[in-house]
Amino acid sequence: MNATEWKEKLSAIRDSFSASITQKPAENPEALELRFLGRKGELALLLRDLKDIPLEERKPLGALGNTAKQEFEAKLAELKGAAPAAGPAAAPGLDLTLPGAPLPKGGLHPLTHVMNRLAEAFLKLGFTMADGPLVEDDYHNFEALNFPPFHPARDMQDTFYVDAKDQSGKFMLLRTHTSPVQVRSMEKAEPPLRVFHTGRVFRSEAVDASHSFAFHQIEGLYVDKGVSMADLKWTADAFMKDLFGSGVKTRFNPSYFPFVEPGAEVDMSCVFCKSGSGRCPVCKGTGWLELMGAGMVHPNVLKGCNYDPEKWSGFAFGGGIERFAMLLYGISDMRMLYENDLRVLKQVG
Amino acid sequence: MKILYSWLSDFIENPPSPEEAAAKLGRIGLKVEELHRTGAAFTGVCVGRIEKIDRHPNADKLSLVDVNDGKGVMRVVCGAKNIAVGQLIPFAKVGAMLAEGELKKARIRGVESEGMICSAGELGLEGYDNSGILVLPADAPLGADAMTLFPKADHALEVEMLPNQGYCLSHYALARELCVFYGLKLKEAPVFQGEARGEAVPVEIKVPDLCPRYGAVVMKGVKGARTPEWMAARLRAMGSNPKGNLLIDGSNYVMYELGQPTHCFDVAKLGGPKIIVRRALPGEMLKTLDGQDLKLDPGMMVIADASRPAALAGVMGGADTAVSDDTDMILIESARFHAPTVRQASKTTGLKSESSYRFERGTDPELPLKAARRLAALILEAAPGARVEQISDNCPVKYRPPVIEVAPARINAILGTGIADGEIEACLKALQPRLRDGKPWQFEAPSYRQDIEMINDVAEEVARYIGYDVIPPVTRMPMLPSAVTPQWTAAAELKQGLAALGFSEVYNYDFVSAKELKVCGAAPETALEVKNPLSSDFQYLRPALLPGLLKTLRYNLNRGRETVLVFEAGTAYARRDGGKAEEVYCAGLMYGEYPEGGSWRGGAAKADFYHLKGVLARLFSGKGGFRYEKPRKAPAYYQPGLCLEMKLGGSCAGYLGKLSREAAAAADLKDDAVFLFEVPLSCLAQAGKTEFWQKVVKVKPVSQFPQSWRDLSVVLDEKHEWGELERSFSGVQDLASARLVDVYKGKNIPAGQRSLTVRFTFSSMEKTLNDAEVGARMTAIQDKLARSFGAKLRA
Repeated sequence: MNATEWKEKLSAIRDSFSASITQKPAENPEALELRFLGRKGELALLLRDLKDIPLEERKPLGALGNTAKQEFEAKLAELKGAAPAAGPAAAPGLDLTLPGAPLPKGGLHPLTHVMNRLAEAFLKLGFTMADGPLVEDDYHNFEALNFPPFHPARDMQDTFYVDAKDQSGKFMLLRTHTSPVQVRSMEKAEPPLRVFHTGRVFRSEAVDASHSFAFHQIEGLYVDKGVSMADLKWTADAFMKDLFGSGVKTRFNPSYFPFVEPGAEVDMSCVFCKSGSGRCPVCKGTGWLELMGAGMVHPNVLKGCNYDPEKWSGFAFGGGIERFAMLLYGISDMRMLYENDLRVLKQVG
Repeated sequence: MKILYSWLSDFIENPPSPEEAAAKLGRIGLKVEELHRTGAAFTGVCVGRIEKIDRHPNADKLSLVDVNDGKGVMRVVCGAKNIAVGQLIPFAKVGAMLAEGELKKARIRGVESEGMICSAGELGLEGYDNSGILVLPADAPLGADAMTLFPKADHALEVEMLPNQGYCLSHYALARELCVFYGLKLKEAPVFQGEARGEAVPVEIKVPDLCPRYGAVVMKGVKGARTPEWMAARLRAMGSNPKGNLLIDGSNYVMYELGQPTHCFDVAKLGGPKIIVRRALPGEMLKTLDGQDLKLDPGMMVIADASRPAALAGVMGGADTAVSDDTDMILIESARFHAPTVRQASKTTGLKSESSYRFERGTDPELPLKAARRLAALILEAAPGARVEQISDNCPVKYRPPVIEVAPARINAILGTGIADGEIEACLKALQPRLRDGKPWQFEAPSYRQDIEMINDVAEEVARYIGYDVIPPVTRMPMLPSAVTPQWTAAAELKQGLAALGFSEVYNYDFVSAKELKVCGAAPETALEVKNPLSSDFQYLRPALLPGLLKTLRYNLNRGRETVLVFEAGTAYARRDGGKAEEVYCAGLMYGEYPEGGSWRGGAAKADFYHLKGVLARLFSGKGGFRYEKPRKAPAYYQPGLCLEMKLGGSCAGYLGKLSREAAAAADLKDDAVFLFEVPLSCLAQAGKTEFWQKVVKVKPVSQFPQSWRDLSVVLDEKHEWGELERSFSGVQDLASARLVDVYKGKNIPAGQRSLTVRFTFSSMEKTLNDAEVGARMTAIQDKLARSFGAKLRA
């Protein structure tokens, strides 16, 4: 007998056992015990046949046979009645507190979770996903976004350069923000246009609890006829409410980014404290969290993309994804997001 | 930028409180990041001396201290550990006003205390050690009011300055912002009002485009002009280090006050004496005030005397013409320089100064003479013997602000508001009192606001003036269709699949070291190199995701983990034809047992190639045209013979295999049982480009009749791969599946051969197959296997 045949035979014995105990009226349990489990019972004989099977294959088969034996015993005990005929205590049932089978469990990175959620919020507002390269040219990263050469605004974004040149012979760089995707999207399409992008950006900065030389941003852009700052405020507000609940408020404060005018900083009411307690570690008691930058697309940017600023206007807004992730997951040190400690990542799942 | 509240208040009539000023600045876009008290704001505290220390009878941690206040000795209870006999300390008597309020008489653990020895915190002093009591310098006069030992009470505001806020870089400028936007009245600093005859030092501007204005005030008899203490105190509070020489300190003071950098030349050291504003000559040298020898180039502008450069314009003065304590005649330079030229010079030389910081951001064209006159006034006050010899204003290019046509409808269209004309006009008038009536207004921004160039800039000013809350969150945006990119969809599917199969997603940096480049088998000339890396660990852009995955593996093994199943989706970079190439990959590795964690019932095994192959089979299931091939050119870090290439619709869909021994060794791994895969997302995105409805698999009908199965064990030469056998089953009638259930080598099987057991399942759409029909099909299979592979039935 080979292993396959053995298994087939076991399967046949199982079938006939279950037929015997389910038929009505049921057979006498004692008789069944003798027939299947007795010294010359069907199962015992089959187990004896194992000796003919090569040693390597024998072990798993033996285990199968024993499992069957235990099952049969359990079933027969059940059949004999809940109250045991004799003996001090009932055979214990299954220990249901034993762990379940270990099915695989991995997970997505916190930043992916957040990016997915942010993308979802944008899609709901009718923004289409756009893409762009990480190694950029100076034109798309700076000049087209109204950062002229030798403008101090370039100091806001310390730049990594790589040893490859663009078509104009300038060294290429690692994009310092996701805003070049605004320009690339406008170059590719005619208005109206409503796009968003999430992705990685780079700044030549020392790494600490709140800085990283690689991090992620999200960016939204809408250009159409008659777009105003009120549209922007509605959109930013709807976006925040989608992420943090309908109870949150948004506030604009004046700010500056070269590629928008007027520029604004978007604050959201702190969802982590009862505002006014003065002790919230997240908002430092101010009741507000600074989450995004925003503004009306600068006419110079529109012009550079061959959009007539007299005819078209637009808004843009964006922010750092790490900031969202740190707030949401209660992470106080940005480095945790890049250490890849599975003890951390497994918590997120 | 640091702002002292007292200094700010010099320029505002009825100034708002520090807190109010901070809030007001914040609302107009000048964020106050910090507001803190400086100096001393207590009363009733004198310098005391500790005469004797005894233990408190009822408390281990308290002491009884005899303090001499110069008039008598008093006994106080003290909890500090750093007390010692002979120390001078701030002693507060009952009734003193401290940071927390009035000091009251107290009994502490049964002993009356006649006062308190204070810590810095109790005195409201910031920036001092607050771990115990504040020990005063040994030369403090006993019994003196302790207030006199500290700077006067004030507040410091740390204001975040954005690059467009060149018009805010001084105390006067911030006061002006508060006045313009909140209707307060601005006060002016006293300046020298007199006139002067003659031109002791002629000024020649050779580059009017780069230097549109050059104000020069020449003074004589300035020798011995010392910095007054009130000025030194303010400079110290600003974090500047006053030198005591008013010519140097006064110049800094005026810059912090008005925002205009000035520079004093020692006229006796100026060749000519003469001032020439010109481009530097190639190779010209300048020794700067901080002792550096700069090599100049014609991209830079210099202030030269008759023979050589005396200053790098807007950045730093030269050492040879610098003022000293012996200087008696000076030329105060107060000019306007072309911002990008100053910035370029600063970048090229690596020299940054408070002066270059301001010039880069654009200075007020109308400020130079006022600032020079202010400095003159300060010098005259301290050195009464001094006199002004020359006031010259060379202005080859007069500043003309752009005229912006402001129609109220346009402002409201940009902001999405319904602001009344009168409110817009009020804002414009606050900024430009000379605004003429009549709509649309012809608005000329004041000279200090060169950042206001067009209607959008004016709209921002209106919103700042009224408050950004005036913008309502309302929209009439039309519907537009939205979509994600095919690559996003592909990545999301893979990521979710991997997560479900036990893999954790990781994020690594894009930068790798030369050593890691080698692990990837990439030659340096094929990789993109960072020109300004943070360190040699981050010198190249990763040619593959492998280094980060291995780093993650090591990191977690070092922390006691035994199983690591990780993946990452990210960009890999290469140099192509002098340019760059980017490709997004999803890559991962498995090490340890699968599934992770094991079970009390058994069932986990050490992860191997077939586990990984199973993972990928699951990820790609349902993707038409997916198959494996022997790789023609796999990346070098896969072990040869233990690697497969994946194909999707004919194009490469990546690789899977075992990490090569060399790569494992290079990555400092002891165990090379690491299994890797990588999938370029572009191939999946390509396959994903078809529409959803086209992508969906059409469902095949299933049989209504019972199926039958038979197992077959055959022994055949090992050289025949399972894949060959599997292909040979195609075309067998009614065969629904052929599943490999056992592979065996060893006892009873001849050497070089193996036994394969296959379960064949048959199913017909027309009928239930009987034994004879199934048997016939099995015979056909057996014959085929015997013919093609020499397979024999296993006995």
